Amino acid sequence: MSMSERKTIDLEQGWDFMQKGITKLKNILEGLPEPQFSSEDYMMLYTTIYNMCTQKPPHDYSQQLYDKYKESFEEYIVSTVLPSLREKHDEFMLRELVKRWANHKIMVRWLSRFFHYLDRYFIARRSLPPLNEVGLTCFRDLVYKELNGKVRDAVISLIDQEREGEQIDRALLKNVLDIFVEIGMGQMDHYENDFEAAMLKDTSAYYSRKASNWILEDSCPDYMLKAEECLKREKDRVAHYLHSSSEPKLLEKVQHELLSVYANQLLEKEHSGCHALLRDDKVEDLSRMFRLFSKIPRGLDPVSSIFKQHVTTEGMALVKHAEDAASNKKAEKKDIVGLQEQVFVRKVIELHDKYLAYVNDCFQNHTLFHKALKEAFEVFCNKGVAGSSSAELLASFCDNILKKGGSEKLSDEAIEETLEKVVKLLAYISDKDLFAEFYRKKLARRLLFDKSANDDHERSILTKLKQQCGGQFTSKMEGMVTDLTLAKENQTSFEEYLSNNPNADPGIDLTVTVLTTGFWPSYKSFDLNLPAEMIRCVEVFKEFYQTKTKHRKLTWIYSLGTCNISGKFDPKTVELIVTTYQASALLLFNSSDRLSYSEIMTQLNLSDDDVIRLLHSLSCAKYKILNKEPNTKTILSTDYFEFNSKFTDKMRRIKIPLPPVDEKKKVIEDVDKDRRYAIDASIVRIMKSRKVLGYQQLVMECVEQLGRMFKPDVKAIKKRIEDLISRDYLERDKDNANMFKYLA
Amino acid sequence: MHKLGRGHRDKLQQFITITGASEKIALQALKASDWHLEGAFDFFYNQPQLKTFTDSRHLEELYNRYKDAYVDMILADGITVLCNDIQVDPQDIVMLVLSWHMKAGTMCEFSKKEFIEGLQSLGIDSLDKFREKIPYMRSELKDEQKFREIYNFAFGWAKEKGQKSLALDTAIGMWQLLFAEKQWPLVDHWCQFLQARHNKAISRDTWSQLLEFAKTVGSNLSDYDAEGAWPYLIDEFVEYLNENGIIQNGLINDSSLKW
Repeated sequence: MSMSERKTIDLEQGWDFMQKGITKLKNILEGLPEPQFSSEDYMMLYTTIYNMCTQKPPHDYSQQLYDKYKESFEEYIVSTVLPSLREKHDEFMLRELVKRWANHKIMVRWLSRFFHYLDRYFIARRSLPPLNEVGLTCFRDLVYKELNGKVRDAVISLIDQEREGEQIDRALLKNVLDIFVEIGMGQMDHYENDFEAAMLKDTSAYYSRKASNWILEDSCPDYMLKAEECLKREKDRVAHYLHSSSEPKLLEKVQHELLSVYANQLLEKEHSGCHALLRDDKVEDLSRMFRLFSKIPRGLDPVSSIFKQHVTTEGMALVKHAEDAASNKKAEKKDIVGLQEQVFVRKVIELHDKYLAYVNDCFQNHTLFHKALKEAFEVFCNKGVAGSSSAELLASFCDNILKKGGSEKLSDEAIEETLEKVVKLLAYISDKDLFAEFYRKKLARRLLFDKSANDDHERSILTKLKQQCGGQFTSKMEGMVTDLTLAKENQTSFEEYLSNNPNADPGIDLTVTVLTTGFWPSYKSFDLNLPAEMIRCVEVFKEFYQTKTKHRKLTWIYSLGTCNISGKFDPKTVELIVTTYQASALLLFNSSDRLSYSEIMTQLNLSDDDVIRLLHSLSCAKYKILNKEPNTKTILSTDYFEFNSKFTDKMRRIKIPLPPVDEKKKVIEDVDKDRRYAIDASIVRIMKSRKVLGYQQLVMECVEQLGRMFKPDVKAIKKRIEDLISRDYLERDKDNANMFKYLA
Repeated sequence: MHKLGRGHRDKLQQFITITGASEKIALQALKASDWHLEGAFDFFYNQPQLKTFTDSRHLEELYNRYKDAYVDMILADGITVLCNDIQVDPQDIVMLVLSWHMKAGTMCEFSKKEFIEGLQSLGIDSLDKFREKIPYMRSELKDEQKFREIYNFAFGWAKEKGQKSLALDTAIGMWQLLFAEKQWPLVDHWCQFLQARHNKAISRDTWSQLLEFAKTVGSNLSDYDAEGAWPYLIDEFVEYLNENGIIQNGLINDSSLKW
């Protein structure tokens, strides 16, 4: 035969040849003794297809060969594959399926190579499904469609067995599930519709059964441990044999059945639920609770709600305990002033430290828990204790730390840390303006009576307050501290002035502290009739001050003054440390042996209240510098007084305290007045910019503007609006009583 | 006189009785409103006042009759004489209406300008015309818009000169006088509340808003909006009513108010 001449192959002859090759392949797949395809075998098979496709019509058998290609698979599946699968069940069926699928893919690959010429020309020209696809489609349509339900059930059954702790063949499951994916040929629809949907449903049913038992049998922590373990195992399952796209759906099902469905029951378990864990400080369990519930929709809402409730309850318990302690104190000794209140603030700080740590650690700084903590503290931090508002208590607490001889001995670092925490607590208090006023009052006393322990700490807390509440909040206080610094410089100048001016002689040692009005709390400034010795002092200082500034007016506040007096008593001389008022009263007795109440009152030019308080401290208290007739415990306007020349004391130097006036009421009144001004200013500011505004909107904006300092009562705002209407700043719209207009 | 049916004649008589208008004007108003009384009232009150000629000399004579001997004003004594002449009690509410027409600045005083211009606007220049006009002025209290104007006028009229607020006793007296015309069922409770809980002067805003309150909230407080812009004092009043069981579920529960 000549090489250039090719004999025409008819269909029967050619296909018969191909049949031999296909049979050989089948035998190999079935594991029968069959030698491998040699390259010669392969070339002959390929060439045969090539020849039969390239012969001149009517001998071009492309279409017939294409059809026979498909029929080869179908015949093999029907005659061999399906019977072998149908006879098997469960795990054995799965193994057979995996093997058959693997074999099928091999068959597709080999036949595709034999029939390759079709792909290149015939299929391309006719836009027919490629050989590979035809092959896989055969398996899908004949095997997969018949068996996928049984396969799915078998797989799910194995999954459930694994969930029960049994050992299963994970590799087998992975291979089976890969079939579902591969059958999709790039799409996930077969995996999702034919397997995943049922698997998820079964998962829900499985965990629903489990949960309904566990919720009854287990404590909350044990239940959560199981839930966490289950989630971990389902994640493992995905890693080992499920498709990765199943993970979020699978976990969502588990989370729903174990957590969402039983969230309330779990959290509210009487002895082990969220409340109990918080009560018993089960930090690890609470962390787990957070991790679990953070994964379900709004799962953290009930946890944060219980947390808030718990913190509120703890806080209210502190309030009640402090209240009870204060009540008991009243029945016993009264001289421990405010000790219980100090303890209360300290405990609130500790509570805040503890639960802030919970928020930061257990609850991973989640905003819901910060909000819960804030709202809880806002509840009880705005309760008063024993008649004192929390604003006042905090101010007293700061005072106790910052003043000399306070009840607590803290290191510098501890002071800084504590003040930092107090400032944090202030954020929860509605009446920040009340705190500011009390703080200022006590700051004034520390500064003016040299009770402040450390300048740096005074400035440090002001810096912290400024950061938190704004510059306006601390401007007066900073002014006060600055005034004291300036006062020291001023005193130095005064002493220089005295040494340079022999004519300027106060006669006695004199120290003056110049204060800026407006920075300091308002003080009563009476026209006390000073003794002659003191009048001279005042005049000398005035002359000095005139040399520094000609346009400032000095107002003297004698109620803040202190005097050292040598009292010459018969037994011995005693140095008396007294207030200016007390000194003025005592000096009257240098020229009079006996004075009546009314004479003292007239000569000093004081009010009844002040005189009574003054004379009581000198004649009825611990140190009786004056003798009172009659010798009773209370001062009456009919009393007479004499110098007690027989007075003596072990000490050579004594301080005679003048009982402080109760300033609480005045502070509160001052704050109320300031609030009225603040509300008026806010309303006018709003209306000035808006010109016309509805009532609701006006109230809302007013509350919003003022909220940083205090929480205005809506009734208070309403009263201010009416007052502003009366004063012709505002008027009601003629046609709509809910609308207000600004009057320029 | 036209022949009128009995129904029409009754309506005509009723209109004349209420408004004090002449028969001619009454007939005109009723015809314009197709013989509906309410419509006739609206027509009548919305008509611009007829510019009746008034004799200046007669007005001067009237003024001089009541003028104080020392001050160029009509004071309390003069007003007493005036009331005698027109046969009206000085406490009668119609004197408030008259004061409103005169734009009187303060109670118990009429300046010459107020008196003369007021009477001119009413078309009065003789005592006979004055007496004829009394029913008309009384009927103006039945018009809602005019009542409101008169009510709000009363505040400035009744308060002390130079004061911004109305003394409580005076306010209570005025409310009792005014609401006798309007039959607000809560007026006595309001006055008791003020004496028990407030005991201070009344602001103009509270005064004017109370009329709105009486009008809009009436006897059914279930629609009272405590979050609304009502004056503070009215909020307190509603609380007071609820606290004392006078109002329950928004309804008046006071047997003394049953009639």
